[in-house]
Amino acid sequence: MPTPPLFIADLVVERGDKRIVDGLSLSLAPGEIYALLGGNGAGKSTTLFAILGFLERQGGSLTVGGVDVAANPDAVRRQVAYLPENVALYDHLTARENVDYFLKVAGCPRSRADVDAGFEGVGLAAAAWDERAARFSKGMRQKTAIALALLRETPLMLLDEPTSGLDPAAAGDFHRLLETLGRRGVAVLMVTHDLLGAADTADRIGLIQAGRIAREWTASPTVPRFDLNALHSGFASAR
Amino acid sequence: MTQMIAIAAAELRLMLRSRLALIGLAALLLLSGIAAVTSAVQTASASATRAAAQAATDEQFKTQPSRHPHRMVHYGTYALRPVGPLAAFDPGVDSFTGTVLFLEGHRQNSATFGAARESSDLVRFGQLTPAFVLQTLAPLLLVFLGFATVARERERGSLRALSAHGASAASILGGKVLALGGVALLAMAPALMALAWAALRHPGEGGIATLIALAYGVYLLVWVIGITAISALARTSQGALVTLLAIWAIVVVLVPRAAAGWAGVAEPLPSRVDTEFAIAADLRRMGDSHNPDDPHFAAFKQRILKQYGVATVDELPVNYRGLVGAEGERLTSELFALYAARADAIQLGQSARLETLGVLSPALAVRRASMVGAATDVATHLAFMNRAEAYRYQLIQRLNGLQVTQVSSADDRARSRDPLADQRTRISADFWKTMPQFQLAPSAPATRAAAMLPAMALLAFWLAIGVGLLWLARRNLDQTAA
Repeated sequence: MPTPPLFIADLVVERGDKRIVDGLSLSLAPGEIYALLGGNGAGKSTTLFAILGFLERQGGSLTVGGVDVAANPDAVRRQVAYLPENVALYDHLTARENVDYFLKVAGCPRSRADVDAGFEGVGLAAAAWDERAARFSKGMRQKTAIALALLRETPLMLLDEPTSGLDPAAAGDFHRLLETLGRRGVAVLMVTHDLLGAADTADRIGLIQAGRIAREWTASPTVPRFDLNALHSGFASAR
Repeated sequence: MTQMIAIAAAELRLMLRSRLALIGLAALLLLSGIAAVTSAVQTASASATRAAAQAATDEQFKTQPSRHPHRMVHYGTYALRPVGPLAAFDPGVDSFTGTVLFLEGHRQNSATFGAARESSDLVRFGQLTPAFVLQTLAPLLLVFLGFATVARERERGSLRALSAHGASAASILGGKVLALGGVALLAMAPALMALAWAALRHPGEGGIATLIALAYGVYLLVWVIGITAISALARTSQGALVTLLAIWAIVVVLVPRAAAGWAGVAEPLPSRVDTEFAIAADLRRMGDSHNPDDPHFAAFKQRILKQYGVATVDELPVNYRGLVGAEGERLTSELFALYAARADAIQLGQSARLETLGVLSPALAVRRASMVGAATDVATHLAFMNRAEAYRYQLIQRLNGLQVTQVSSADDRARSRDPLADQRTRISADFWKTMPQFQLAPSAPATRAAAMLPAMALLAFWLAIGVGLLWLARRNLDQTAA
């Protein structure tokens, strides 16, 4: 049995004296897209931070590609592309310089042509490629960060509200992109409030409540992939 | 390492694209360049002036007409402190201590003509020298350039982004240190060039110049590491700036001045006036060669008469006045030496206290290392004073010896009323040409290097503190990435 890109069992994470994640279990197969939904403070972002090793876990096990996060967080981060909700680009650098820089830091520099292709793939206008990020809208920042995440070509992607700030057309393009990634074997864990987007893209949708997966839906091979009414009522009851 | 270099390159690119950073760096480089040039010009001018004055005063002494030796004792001469080989880099106490000493019989004078007293009041606030720029201004520039180096990343969320891309806390801090260190190296460049230029003009000074450069390198590295660590430990960049400015003010401005004050209070140096009065009182107690009833000189007279086996001074084969003059000079010089030794001990004690207080401020430690290496410290000044006093004593006793052996007692007694006797008491002008000249070589570089060691050890101690702080910052970054 191949090592799963992400394996979480009975994860417990506390911040201060508050238990945010309480017994969460989740395993992603290669190419699987998992959407994690839940209300504010349910533990979605905390789960992502725990996977990245930014937060220590107080219980359970958590491995990325078979590597224990607690034992070697830097090695784990090299296998994970993370797209935060609030993209932090360097204002004094252009989109290309930002991407080049983060790719160098991640130890996977790419050619100029690759970066151009990455920008093209996410729909970032060519005029913005060599423009300083200080003048970027939120959507442009998001597209730059998505291009960066894609260019890293990691086996696992963590996305925190990836379509926040994108116009509907760009959000649609992004979901198509995720499907392409899935076909390439990249596992994606996406934290989102975008129910329709999740239903459009995800293979599984998990509803996190009080720090654990309370309900889970698996996509049907036929259209519609998910029962949107069930999803909506499940999500509404969790809020 | 690749990560670290990438982070350093990004930080440098940020500085290059920041108008404020560029202006700050350009201002420091300009100041440093001006300091290097003006200091080199001033030092070269002072060196030439002093050498010319020393040559002129030597020439004046040598070209004196035939004279009675005792008149030459009072004619005296001058000793000028030569400019240290690396004084263009760090003039040290040179501006605040006198540089010219009048050497004459019966008196030990103070050095005069210190630049701080002769120049405008601004000199008293510290000259713009390469050493001053590196000790005082370079850390301030590094603070302004580096206070936000990590705090800014935290505030805008890019610190987490870096971590998410696999950058370890050590890489992030290392990259920041590398970038700020590069700026520090650039800031040091004009001053180091001034040091290299001074060393090149004085063969044999290359090793000590390298050691001085190393001391400043460690000093600025302490700042670079400290600034990066504080920036990483502070919650906001504003907090980091306030903390670092306070540290700069305490370490560079307050502690050195307070330490000097404390050393002065702990080991007070009597004023020159008090010393003069004390010496005068001791001289009165010691004996008066002009008083026939003076016990010391009465005993001296008896000893001389016995030594030569005669009953009166008139029967002596040598000039008794000359002997009395030499004895008087011996006594006063012993007294001068005693007071000078006390004053030296106090000043060296103050210096040692200041050196010890380098444990409170790396600025004090580097200042000490710099002055000792450049031979512009208090000990070098005292060595000049002592060497000049030894030369004075030797010169005066040589003149007294001439009176003893070359001037007859009878002529000496009659010279005020007999022009011919007066003529005979005069020593040929040719003799003055054979008198030794005052010379002072700076202490050997190896000696100065050894004297620099305690200050270098203190700088190493500060470097260890900086590394400790950086370790804390690394741990803090690891723990607070989220």
